Amino acid sequence: MFSQKGLSLDQAPPISVVFRFFLQGASFGILGGVLLALYQNEIFDPASKGALVLTHVFTLGIMLSVMLAALFQMLPVIAGVKLTSPAKKANWVQYPLIAGILSLLLAFHFGKIAWLYLLASLLLGGSLLFISFEMIKKLLQVPNHTSSSKGITAALFSLAILVIAALYLTATLGGYSEGIHYVQIKTAHYSFGLFGWIAVLIISISFQVIEMFYVTPPYPNFANRYLSNGILFLLAAASILSFFLPDIWMICHLILALLLSIYAIITLKRLSKRKRPVSDATVWFWRLGLGSLIISMLCFALGLFVQTAWIHALAYLFFGAFALSIVFAMFYKIIPFLTWFHLSSQGYFTAPMMHEVIHPKTAKKHFWIHCSMMTAFIMSLIVPQLIVLASLLTVLSFGWMGYQIIHAHLLYVKTQKEGHKFSMNA
Amino acid sequence: MKKITLDARELEHPKPLAMAINILKNLEDADYLYMIHRKNPVPLIDLAQEHHFQVLSREDAEGTWHILITKNHSVDLKEYLFV
Repeated sequence: MFSQKGLSLDQAPPISVVFRFFLQGASFGILGGVLLALYQNEIFDPASKGALVLTHVFTLGIMLSVMLAALFQMLPVIAGVKLTSPAKKANWVQYPLIAGILSLLLAFHFGKIAWLYLLASLLLGGSLLFISFEMIKKLLQVPNHTSSSKGITAALFSLAILVIAALYLTATLGGYSEGIHYVQIKTAHYSFGLFGWIAVLIISISFQVIEMFYVTPPYPNFANRYLSNGILFLLAAASILSFFLPDIWMICHLILALLLSIYAIITLKRLSKRKRPVSDATVWFWRLGLGSLIISMLCFALGLFVQTAWIHALAYLFFGAFALSIVFAMFYKIIPFLTWFHLSSQGYFTAPMMHEVIHPKTAKKHFWIHCSMMTAFIMSLIVPQLIVLASLLTVLSFGWMGYQIIHAHLLYVKTQKEGHKFSMNA
Repeated sequence: MKKITLDARELEHPKPLAMAINILKNLEDADYLYMIHRKNPVPLIDLAQEHHFQVLSREDAEGTWHILITKNHSVDLKEYLFV
């Protein structure tokens, strides 16, 4: 799609792989909205089962699904990595992943059912370690790395580490281990998840797409070269040192909050210097996401010194707003482009244009639904009844996303069945 | 040879690709596309080569890419390159 490294059309995964991982993310989003109606304001108590379930619906069900969609699509493009048999590998990951997430959610909900934790560990551990090592192996073979490919490698290392940490935690919760180091491993698990995996992957991809999609000046060299690996190094060092210096995570989290805030400011500045500042919902999703990241990191840093529940809740809510906003920004670029590009490259004269796959106004409407959803979440900290509205808006937001994927897929199939092919052949 | 110029340096992705593909669909034997871009548009080059076009892509000293595409295999595209 973008790089100078080389996308060969036969290296790109089938469009169905990308579609179905996105649809999986949207489906878990709808499930999240329904579960929110069930757990309601309990989710703001970090020790509750509602918080545990909803956190993993968000991180595993939504974020991991769409990030896998992005990785399957972008690895050949950004890094020139060819994943052999991508459709088969997607199957090996997707079905165990869905079953594993559902098992884990049930295990969290029902408490001490050991076999559910074991089943979730086998399914999630097996599929995620398989795909992360498969992708890391291919990335390490790339002769010339870009800042994006280096960052994606760092993010995948974080994924593998957080999964290994999760296996220790589920073993403890299932009663298979005594869990002597439970607290340290739990901190490492969520730190690698939020900072090393989600944030670093978004950062790495932004190095490539911000300049390309929005014609902005390039990122400064220090961000390009050192940010992703710097975050991975900090997390790895804090994880090891935390066994001897329990307070080390506080320093690490403070530095990470500072680094991510600087990244957000740099990116916002780049977006303000666009050469063709056309109004576009995806730019607003980026702005909302980056603004949310700054507020999240501010609350996160404050929460290190002030033990106030609502500051912690705001830190996680705004982090969710950051991650989801960027997901939607990428979604509204990727789905129309892929539908049009796959059909055009197959030679369909009647391939729908990108605005016919998803109209820009549709994306703008989703932006306002997303904003309303986040506002309802935040306001529910003051007016608890608003959590029901947040739940409904979550279902609407992900239902909206799911509908766009199904619409694009039907349009794709219809064009393949009924479309006329042109011949560009020389 | 008739030159069809596409200056895509300030166009947001994926407009350069969409516009170039539209030009290629209607390209005559005596035409060539001269595209100027801030990146090397590998998907376009790939697509053009798969459809048996002749393609030439060069980066100039300022980092701007010049991409020449024609149906005609009897011409030497280097003669039309301004780098």
